[in-house]
Amino acid sequence: MRVVRLAVIALSVVMFTGWAAMADGFKNCTKLDKASWKPAGEAETKAREAGYEVRRSKVEGSCYEVYGVKAGKLYELFYSPEDLSLKHTIAK
Amino acid sequence: MEDAVPEARGTPPAPAPRTASRTVRVWDLPLRLWHWLLAVLVLIAWFTPTVHDGLHRIVGYGVIGLLLFRLLWGALGSRYSRFRMLGARLRAAPGYLWNLRRGITGRYIGLNPAGALMLVVLLLALAISAITGAMSVTVTFFGVWWVEETHAWSSDAVIVLVALHIAGVVLMSILQRENLIRAMISGRKRIRNRP
Repeated sequence: MRVVRLAVIALSVVMFTGWAAMADGFKNCTKLDKASWKPAGEAETKAREAGYEVRRSKVEGSCYEVYGVKAGKLYELFYSPEDLSLKHTIAK
Repeated sequence: MEDAVPEARGTPPAPAPRTASRTVRVWDLPLRLWHWLLAVLVLIAWFTPTVHDGLHRIVGYGVIGLLLFRLLWGALGSRYSRFRMLGARLRAAPGYLWNLRRGITGRYIGLNPAGALMLVVLLLALAISAITGAMSVTVTFFGVWWVEETHAWSSDAVIVLVALHIAGVVLMSILQRENLIRAMISGRKRIRNRP
C-alpha cells in the first residue's frame, strides 16, 4: 500500500507541474459585448482570404475559432469578433 | 461447509501466514497496471480538452495503445484476464442485474456478469471516443461535425460509465464484504465469501 501511496503522490506532482507547462488553449480575444460582435462568417472569409481551406468555425471563449487546412496542415485560427484581427494561430 | 483449504501432503511446511493461504491470485500484474494506467489517462483526458490540447492528444494515443494491449491480453493473459468466459457472462448479465434488486450476487472470482457487461460497454465507448479523437486531427476528418459530435458524446458516455463502474464496485464490495478496490491493487481475493 505504501508503494501505491507513493505512486499517487508522484503522479500528482508530475501532473501539476506538467499542467501549466502544457497549457496551449486560447480563448481571450475581446472584452466587447457579444451583441456587438461581427458575424462569424466574416472570420471565415478572412481565413479563406489568407489561403486556408475553412472546415468550420465556432465560438471559443471570446474568440471566433476557425478550423483551417493549408498545405496539408491543420490550424486553429483565433479571430477577435471585435475587429476580426487574427489573435492567435495553433498548428495542430 | 467449513472444510479447510486443502493442504499439501507430506511434511507440513512452515506455518504460512493465515491471510496468504486464504486468498487467491486473481488479477495478474499486467492487468492491474493496465487498469490503473487507463484510469489515470481517462482522468487526465477528461480535464484536458481545449485547454491542454497537446496533452489531451498524447493521452488519447496512450488510451488507444492500452486498448490494443487489452485485446492482446484478452487472448494471452492469465485465466481471469482472458476473454474466454465473456460470452457466457454477457448472456447471464440481464438475469444477473434483475436478481441484484434483491441483493443476490452469486459468487464469482473473476468478473461477475454485470462486471463483464461493464467491461465490454466501457471499453467500446472508450474505443469510439479515442478513435474519433484521433480522427479529428487528421486532414480528412479535421473539423468534420459528426466526428466531433461522436467524440463528445462517447466521451461523456465514458465518464457516466466510469461513475457506474465505481458505484458497482462499491456496491459489490458491500454486498460481498470484500474490498474489491484493494483486490485490483493487490491482485488477490479471498477464497470464501465470509471468513
